Amino acid sequence: MMRKPTQLFMLLFVGIVLWWSRADAGSAVCFSCHEKSAFSGPVVHQPVASGECVTCHNPHVARYDGLLSQSVADLCYSCHTKEAKAFTKGIMHIPVSQGKCLACHEPHKADAKGLINGRLRDRCLACHKTLTAQYQVTHAPYARGQCEACHQPHNAGNTMLLRDDDPDRLCSSCHNQDKVRQAHPNYPVAVKGCLTCHNPHGSSRANLVRNTLHAPYAKGCTGCHVAGQSTVPVETCLGCHKEISGQLRTIHSHLIGGNSCTNCHSPHAGDEKRLLRGRQMQICRTCHEDTYRRFEKSTYVHTESVKECNECHAVHGSNHMAMLRGDGNGVCSRCHETQGKFTHPVGDKARDQRTGQPMTCVNCHNPHGSEYKGQMRLNPEKELCNQCHQGY
Amino acid sequence: MLIERLLRRAVPWVLCILLLSTWVPAAVAGPWQWKINLQGQTPPDAMIMPSALEFDTAKDRYYVVDSGNNRLMSFDREGKLLSAFNAGDSLQAPYDMVRDEKGVLWVVEKGRNSLTSIDLSGKTTVPHTLSYQGRTVYADRLAYAAGQFYVLDRASGGILVFDQDLQGKQSFDCPDCGDGGFVDFKLQGGELWALSMLNRTIYRFGADGRLAAKISLGDAARFPVSLAVDPAGPIYVLERHQGGIAAFDATGELKYRFLEPGQTRGQLYFPVELQIDPWGQLCVVDEGNGRVQIFGRY
Repeated sequence: MMRKPTQLFMLLFVGIVLWWSRADAGSAVCFSCHEKSAFSGPVVHQPVASGECVTCHNPHVARYDGLLSQSVADLCYSCHTKEAKAFTKGIMHIPVSQGKCLACHEPHKADAKGLINGRLRDRCLACHKTLTAQYQVTHAPYARGQCEACHQPHNAGNTMLLRDDDPDRLCSSCHNQDKVRQAHPNYPVAVKGCLTCHNPHGSSRANLVRNTLHAPYAKGCTGCHVAGQSTVPVETCLGCHKEISGQLRTIHSHLIGGNSCTNCHSPHAGDEKRLLRGRQMQICRTCHEDTYRRFEKSTYVHTESVKECNECHAVHGSNHMAMLRGDGNGVCSRCHETQGKFTHPVGDKARDQRTGQPMTCVNCHNPHGSEYKGQMRLNPEKELCNQCHQGY
Repeated sequence: MLIERLLRRAVPWVLCILLLSTWVPAAVAGPWQWKINLQGQTPPDAMIMPSALEFDTAKDRYYVVDSGNNRLMSFDREGKLLSAFNAGDSLQAPYDMVRDEKGVLWVVEKGRNSLTSIDLSGKTTVPHTLSYQGRTVYADRLAYAAGQFYVLDRASGGILVFDQDLQGKQSFDCPDCGDGGFVDFKLQGGELWALSMLNRTIYRFGADGRLAAKISLGDAARFPVSLAVDPAGPIYVLERHQGGIAAFDATGELKYRFLEPGQTRGQLYFPVELQIDPWGQLCVVDEGNGRVQIFGRY
């Protein structure tokens, strides 16, 4: 008979040996087929380094590609618990919100810290295809491929995922303010709003000034500004852009206080003739984050060919619901021609029995996205039709 | 024995949990119950994009601005349609309205950007273009109290006060809204309550224009477009995209949500305005569904 302390010691010893051998034996078996050198490099993921292949993979059978025991995000967040919590705050980078950690990170080994292979910028440009790799004049961090110098890779408090919600403050973290003032002589007001003139990535003009100048700005400041004042009323803009006035005299418009024009358009310089402050969807998202998120999270979304919000919405103003370009039929049938002619009766003669309103496409379809095929608002095999056709 | 003892102890707890589970949903559904709709079911009565609601306590009437049909509708308190009025087909995108003490209707016409007076007895309609400190006012929401017009100006984002001669007297401006102003306001208890959509904040001003309090709604508000201040305490905020109402306390803490998106009774589709009527009922101008839904207290 062994004494109790001796029994406990033996058990503990056996346990440690089994645990130790389990990991090593597991990886040894894996590496009998999978080339071990493919899993070594300057930076190795900790579970790989400790030979714990089974932390992520099931050696026999799994529901996920690569014999993963869970989805990629669930696996990553099972260890990276702090990140799991932190990344849900604010606005998430699309791969993060979709749980696609491997869009940027390597799971086994990589060249650089953060398990990133090659230059980070190449990873960024693989998705951000509208960005130019090289400009005539390129911002130094961009040229060095240091996207993370300005942008947060996972989430941030702003739609551009900038490291600081105030872009001016972000610029001044590198650009000395005294030098900035010297570079803008005769400026009657404080120098601010860097991005209204400068492209932070690059440009064809010196000093990263955006390529297309607003005509009055090209001539000077006094075309729009009263001396000493930085703010310009919306009427000043409408004084030239008279065609917009009518669009603002509508039931729903984007006049929202301040100078509403400059919420979307740069008053000084832009990258294209509309002088937009960025990609249209990005601009709209600044205020319509809730819509964007619903759109993003839907299983069935409106076709990917819809690139800009103004394909359906009159972005200045409209007398239609949701600032649409027309009623719920006219807007859809511009693209969906067949459905506009051969479908459930729509228009004034077919009324929605729930509300008495004319039937339109959006009575049944959610134009942004939904959980049902065809972007139906409800399950078409269950409750959708029964909403009106209760006898069926 | 052990199992029996455990079961005996568990029974009261299970009963408590069951009781709570039946009681909690009733509580969080809010104290409101659907009563009537203001709507015309069939053409030409059906409303298209109603945008605002006004009351007549003397005649027990509701007035609805039927903006999509360029007309005003009146209903009795039971929801029966009484009449429709389009000022000789002259209204252009009417959006909001008030009645002054003389019975003159003042209508915000977005189509001509005017505050239009309609004297029903004299059968006259006069559009007025408002300006404040030399700038054109883009009138939006409208209220009337003590002989003064309160006009939400979409150009400045502030709320402007005009006298009977439409001379600008005062403004209530958002101190920190940046490139965006107020989207709605209500006069309640001698104070002006204004809602900023972008800041998701309610600003409470004294009659003198001084800011008395800021109530941050935080992420609990998503796309708030209108507010109603209940004299009984809660502040109701209408969510346009989410099709629901969120009730907050005076500190901005979310108390509960009620109503949901959709087309059937008690559901909302692009609602645009929230009001508490003189009879203490909560009224939702349900723009997308072409109706006004009225909820009474349980």
